Parts: sequence; C-alpha cells; structure tokens
Amino acid sequence: MRFKTSLPKEAKHRDFVTCVAWTSIDEVFSSGDDHQILHWNLVTNETKKLADLPNDLYPTELDVLPRAASKKQGPDLFLLTSSEGKFYLVSSNGRIEKGVEAHKGAVLSGKWSLDGAGIVTGGEDGLVKIWSRSGMLRSTLAQSPNPVYCVCWSPESDAVLYASGQHIVLKPLAPNSKAMEWKAHDELILKLAWSALNGLILSGAEDCRYRLWDVYGRLLYNSPSHDYPITSLAWSPDGELFAVGSFNTLRLCDKSGWSYSLEKPPTGSIFSLAWSSDGTQVAGACGHGNVIFAHIIERRLEWKNYEASVTSRKSIALRNVTNEAWEKLDLPDRIVKLGLSYGHLVVVSTSHVYVYSTRNWNTPIIFDLKEGSVRLIQQASKQFLLVEGSGIYIYGYDGKLVSSPKWPSMKVDLLNSQIISLSNDTVAVRDRTDQRAVLVFDTASGKSVTDTGKAGGPAYVHTSEVYEMSLDQTGPATERKLALIDRNRELYLVAIRRHGGSSVAMKLGVMVGSLYWNDGASMLAALQNSRLVVWFYPNVIFVDKELLTLATQEREGGEFGKSPIVVNYLGDQVTVRRSDGSLVSVPTSPYPAVLHDYTMQHKWGDAVRLCRFIKEPLLWACLAGMATYAKELNTAEIAYAAIDRADKVLYVQYIKNIPVKEVRSAEMALLAGKTQEAENVLLQNGLLFRAIMMHIQLYNWDRALELAVKHKTHLDTVLAFRKRYLMRFDREETNKRFIQFGQGVQLDWQKILQRVETEYQRESGRIGAALPPKTSSRNTSKKAVNPPRKEVRPPPNDEELGDDEEDGEVD
Amino acid sequence: MSDDTLASAGLYTDELNKIRVLEPTAAQQTTELKEECKEFMDNIVEFRTIADKLISTVDGLQAQVEQQKMKAIGARNLLQSVTKQREAQQQQLQALITEKKLELERLRLQYDSLLQTEAEQNEFIEQLLMQK
Repeated sequence: MRFKTSLPKEAKHRDFVTCVAWTSIDEVFSSGDDHQILHWNLVTNETKKLADLPNDLYPTELDVLPRAASKKQGPDLFLLTSSEGKFYLVSSNGRIEKGVEAHKGAVLSGKWSLDGAGIVTGGEDGLVKIWSRSGMLRSTLAQSPNPVYCVCWSPESDAVLYASGQHIVLKPLAPNSKAMEWKAHDELILKLAWSALNGLILSGAEDCRYRLWDVYGRLLYNSPSHDYPITSLAWSPDGELFAVGSFNTLRLCDKSGWSYSLEKPPTGSIFSLAWSSDGTQVAGACGHGNVIFAHIIERRLEWKNYEASVTSRKSIALRNVTNEAWEKLDLPDRIVKLGLSYGHLVVVSTSHVYVYSTRNWNTPIIFDLKEGSVRLIQQASKQFLLVEGSGIYIYGYDGKLVSSPKWPSMKVDLLNSQIISLSNDTVAVRDRTDQRAVLVFDTASGKSVTDTGKAGGPAYVHTSEVYEMSLDQTGPATERKLALIDRNRELYLVAIRRHGGSSVAMKLGVMVGSLYWNDGASMLAALQNSRLVVWFYPNVIFVDKELLTLATQEREGGEFGKSPIVVNYLGDQVTVRRSDGSLVSVPTSPYPAVLHDYTMQHKWGDAVRLCRFIKEPLLWACLAGMATYAKELNTAEIAYAAIDRADKVLYVQYIKNIPVKEVRSAEMALLAGKTQEAENVLLQNGLLFRAIMMHIQLYNWDRALELAVKHKTHLDTVLAFRKRYLMRFDREETNKRFIQFGQGVQLDWQKILQRVETEYQRESGRIGAALPPKTSSRNTSKKAVNPPRKEVRPPPNDEELGDDEEDGEVD
Repeated sequence: MSDDTLASAGLYTDELNKIRVLEPTAAQQTTELKEECKEFMDNIVEFRTIADKLISTVDGLQAQVEQQKMKAIGARNLLQSVTKQREAQQQQLQALITEKKLELERLRLQYDSLLQTEAEQNEFIEQLLMQK
C-alpha cells in the first residue's frame, strides 16, 4: 500500500499554506499566510479563491464541523484559528460569521468535538479553553506553563488531550477530575492525533520521531528518527492507517505504527494533513505554498489462493496464485473499500457495491448503496455486512438485503471491526453507551436477541469493558459463541444464543492480545503473552474444563516479537502480523478441522478412527469434549479412556447404565458441568428427589433447601445431610435459612434412609420391570469417584470421618 | 613706381595684375592658413569618429565582460549548491532505501515463515505417504 501523490506545478498560494480541510469527498479548502482561502475541486481540477481574509489574520488551523453533527445543522461550518489570538467561525462560502477573542498571543490549535457540541482551543499563553459551538466560553480547562501546540478531543468528547512542551496531558472535562500527564518526547511536541475508532494517540515532535500511545500513556510504537521534525499527523477516518508529514516527507503508516510507504515530494514542510471522509485521500498543506494530494493505491488483500490489489482509483488486479491467472477489474467509479473473504470479493465504490465471486470474475452482482459512505465491510460465508451512513446493512452475496438491525442507542460512526462481528446467523455489536454490554441480533429477522426478552436490551453484559470481540463462524445458531477480550486483557467465551437460557461466559485465558476464529470450524487462535495459542475446541470449557489445556496448542512467541496480532486463521494456517508489520504464517495441526467436520455430520465412528490413527492426546481431548457435548456416550467413553481419564470413563459407564431416560440426560448435563440444565430436566420430569439429591451432592445447600421447601418434601433429608456435612468439618451452622428450618425438625437417619430408598424404588417403578434392576446399577455407579456424588450413608462414626475427608474436598 | 603709389594708397597688384586690397604675400599666407585650418578640422573630425568608435567598442566589451562575470558568479554559486542538492537528494534516496530495506525485511520474514510452513507440510505429506 502506498500513496500516489499529485502536486500542482505552480504554487497557488503566495506564501506558506498552514491548514487544509475537506468539505466533501472531492473538495478541499486551504488557507495560508497569504490571507486567502482557496477552494480545490478534485473532480474538475480547478482551484478558485473563495475568500480573502483580513491582512492581520494569519491562520493556524482549520477544522470542519464533523459531518455527523453538521447533518442536523445545515451547511459546513469551519473553525479557523489565527495567530492574533482569535478564532473564527467561517461558513462554507468563506464568509467569517464570527470572530472570538480567545487567547493572549496566538491560538495555536482548535478543534470541534466529535459530536459538534463544543470547541477546544489551545494558545501560546498555555491555556486550554472550551467553547460552545456558537463561540461562548464555557471553561478554561487547563493552564500549562508552555504554549499549547496541539489539542485533541477524546473519542467520547469527554476529555481533551493537549501538548505541553515535551509532555502530553490528558484532561477529562468532568470537574475535579485528575489529569494524566506523561513525558512523550525529548523535544517540543508539535502535533497530536487521537483516533475516535481505535482510541490510539499519535504524537509528533521536534525530536523527529512520531510515537503511538494508548489511552493509558503506554508507548506502543516509537518511530526511527527522521531527518526533520514531524510537522503533521492525521488518523484515517476508519482508524486503520495514519499519515505523517515532515519536510519533503509524507509517510503512510499502519495503526500499529510501522510504515507502509514513504514519499519524498518537493513540498517543503507539510504543516497540516487531512483525510477525506472515505479514507482514500489525503490533502497536505505545504510550506512551498502548494497543497499536495495523495490517494492510496496498491491496497492488497489475500484470501487463500487469491490476491487482489487496487492498482489505480478505478481498477483492481486479481491474481490466482495457483494457476497464475490474472484478471483486471475495471470499475466506472472510484473504489472506496474492498473485502476479500469466503470466496467473494466485495468492492464498494462511491455509489455502488460490486460483488464478485471467485468462480466468476466477469459478471459481478451490482447494487446501489443506500446512503453512500461505507465505513466497514465484514464478511461471513453466506452474507456480508456494510456499515454505511447511519445504518448497518446485511446483504447476501446475491445482492439481496437480508436485514438491517437497529437499536435505540445506535450510532455507527465509531464502529470498527473489533467491536462488531458477523456470522451467518448472528451479528454482535458492543453497545456504545455501556461498553460492557454486547448487543446481539438475528440477521435473518434483524431482531435483537436479548437476555431479558426486552427489545433492544443487551444479550450479555460483561464484568468490564469489552475491547475486542468476534463470533465463531460455524455450527448452528443456538451454539453461536462470542469470544471477547475485556479491558483486563482476559479472554472470555460467551454462549450468546442458548435455548431459553441467559448467556454464559467462561474465561479462556488471560493476557490475550488479539484473537481470530477459524473460517471453517469452531477453532480459536489468539495471542497470549505474545505466544500463539490455538483452542481447537474452545467449547470444551462449557463441557469439561480439565480438557481445555489438552485441546490447545501453544507456540512459543519468539518469532513474533512484541505485541503481535492475529490477522487470519484460514484452514490450518494462522497468520500473525508482527509489530514491525511483517506477516508470519504459522501452521497448526490439520486434524482438528477434520474432526470438527465429522462430528458436525455425526460421523462418530469416523471421528474415533481418525483419532486412533493420529494418536494425539490433543485430538482425543477434542473428541471427548465434542462427544460429551453431543451426549454421544460411547464415543465419549472411548475418548476419555484414551486420555487416561478413568474417573470420566467410569462416570460415563454409570450414565450408560441408568435406565431412566430423563435421569440419564440430567446426568449427562451434569457431566458437561451444566447444573442448571440438569436441574431443569429433573424438575420438568417430576424427579424432584433426584434434583434435591443432586444439589446436596454438589454441596449446593441453599438451592437444595429451596427446592425442598418449595415442594414441601424431603426437608429433613436436606437438613440431615447438611448436619452431617457440618459435623465432618466441625463447624457450627451459620446459614440463617438452615437455622430457621432446622428448628423443631427431628432428624432420624433410619427414617431418612428408608425414604431415600423408597424414592429410588419409585423411580425404578417408572420404567417398569423390563430394564435392569435399579439398585445394582446404582451401587456400581456410586463407587465411581468422579463428580461430587456419594453413597447415601448414615451419619458417620468418628472412624469413618477420615475416609470421607477426600470426598468432601472434591467440591 | 606705380606700385608704390598703389601701395601707399593701400592697393596692390598681383601677378595677374589685378588690383588687391591685401598684400599678396599676406593674401597667400592667409589662403595657406585657411587651407591648413580646414585640414586640421578634417583631422579633428576624423579623430573624433575614431574615438567614438573606440568608446562604443570598449563599452560593448565592458557589457560583455560584465555578463560573463555574472555568468561566472552564477555558475560558481550553482556549483556550490549542487553539492548541497546532491546531499539532500542523497538523504532522500537514503530514506527511501531504508524504507525499502524495511519492506524487504518484512517480506523476507514472511518468506521464511512460508518456507517453514512448506517444509512442515511436506513432512506431513511424507508422513501420510509412509503410513499408507
């Protein structure tokens, strides 16, 4: 990827150009020390003088009111700061609407907030002031001992970042809040830029370096030293790229800091850079009195054996690597964005969408854009998503609109690929107002899937802010899982569309940097402590946590360097991008994908054969998890046996011997660790006693008591077991409910045991005489060690206490 | 005799016996003087034209010299700035080279990793073939 620059032969300004701003996709305003505003039209290549400024006005910065905010309030409004201590509001025809006395000495920087509600200015006098959109002073936010060369709004417009000498200061707007300050450079900081989309901060200084920071002031990237001070910086609107300007220098960089390309145009110092709203072009204000334009070309995408590269504004070169077949796609209008994945190339131009299939490059499916400014493309195997204008649209690859999810607090400006994720049936979005909440929509209907049933509510609320999330791509909708990384860098797996149950989250890992789901199977690759970890069956965490580490492959991260990211996981190849920008592809075991395939088609025999052939604990662990989850007991038994889990094998055998179907399914749910589901199964089938016993054996005393009280049965049983439990640990009853219900209840072990026995008898009665005798099966099983399940016994004598200690500690 | 009389009356006769008011020798000398004066005048004029010519030639030369001088100064300045230009160009090219080097390094790393992948896949195929 690189910039293609165009520079008019003769300078249009008679002096320095100090500022540029885009008013539409093809129009730019520039202003400089020759006291005029020029209007550049890129379509007709015309430049005309828009207005003359007063002779004492030397402009320092020009900022256009953000589009989202201006839509409501009519035409563009510019904020022009000047060196004589004033800022001006300039209308789109160049007329100065208002001039406001702002600072002593020059106003060095001024910016609209992203919502357009306020203005921040920074001056030579070291003050940072907040103004209303009409230019009324709201507050003096900060006072710095040094001139404030640059100010920036936070993505949420609730804080201001400013440069003070060699320091960067982050000051929240809320009164009495403490500012954060860190030393960022060895020389004076000239420019700052804060991306609304990825939240990262850029700084450029006279020490000829640019640096990348996160919002906590941690250094993410430090550029090599340039020959001249960095005079301008700008994030692209989608937050994926940024441009850096210096003397005769224009650089295009990735959001992680490394540079895609370097241009050396004869511009003099580039004092200001601005991206067009579609993120394809940059305008730069040059010291030689010119305005430089640069657009991005040679954007490259790869998918399996296909490679697409944008060769010019309107054409794409496609290459099939396997047979070296080249295709050239020419489009009638300018290419804005493109995505290549799942066998389809989606090209978004200024007004249309072109969907090419890898099978047929000649006849794309073409349809019109709804609103015209696409920010993001996300693809799944059967559909793709466009974030466009003010909405989200999901299209099938046939070009038909599938749905367009909407929610009350919807605001699509700040969506990026990390906080919206699409699969074939579901789309998940992080809520804007509450960053802990995840909204989930069914793509077919466009309706939200919620936890509470209330329309528009979140499907899942995490314990801390969600930073990155992604949906798995395969399997039925009810097993849709969301992998998310929260602000503590912990990786969670959330089952978000479970039948009739709320979302459940389980922690997969800590210190996770980035993640990616496999395209063909439910496998997850992530970077943990800059080691690559692949979970071949992450769902196992819902089934049997002990298998998790077995079903995982780790790879030492020496080759990845510092803070790498996973960019792809196709088939059995994981692609990791190092922080210097180089791609490293890492092969993973090809078998789990095959295993996933078999189990999806319920070919358990084949799956077992595959595992026997490969003889890897990794595969067996995956299979054990899958079989248990699918309640495929025979396979589970074999798989557990292969990885030496005797306890599980015995338990599976015990389940297999249970004659009552309902109990069996409850026990299987228990084996998979789903207590709630097991209880539901039991209660729905009237197996009340079993449910109570289950909770007793899980030491789930409160729930056991609750059930007993609610259904007015076996209260004494619960109390007796509780008493025995406390006795063993030599503890007093502290649970208020147990004290309350325990009063006046006579505990007679003989009687209780009798009743327990009759309950089991009754259960056997349900299934009739045709099945094996209940008691024997139960007795063998009860000796199985594994889950907290014990023989029903009378209160122990002192000698017995010792034997039972171990059992007690299982829980 | 008559001559004397005439002379006393201030009249003289010349060789052609014409009556003259001026003494013949004086008249002759006057004529000679006149001739000489004319000659002298001619000479002076000639001298002047020659001098003018000379001056204009010298002027032309001076202008030329001046021009050449300026040219020389310009050339000398240019020569000096070329070194600087070269330096700047070199610097620019150096920056571009560094950039390309970085890119090369990136591609090399990718290539290495792909080679490794290829090797692993070959090994894998080998294994499968062996087991069959």
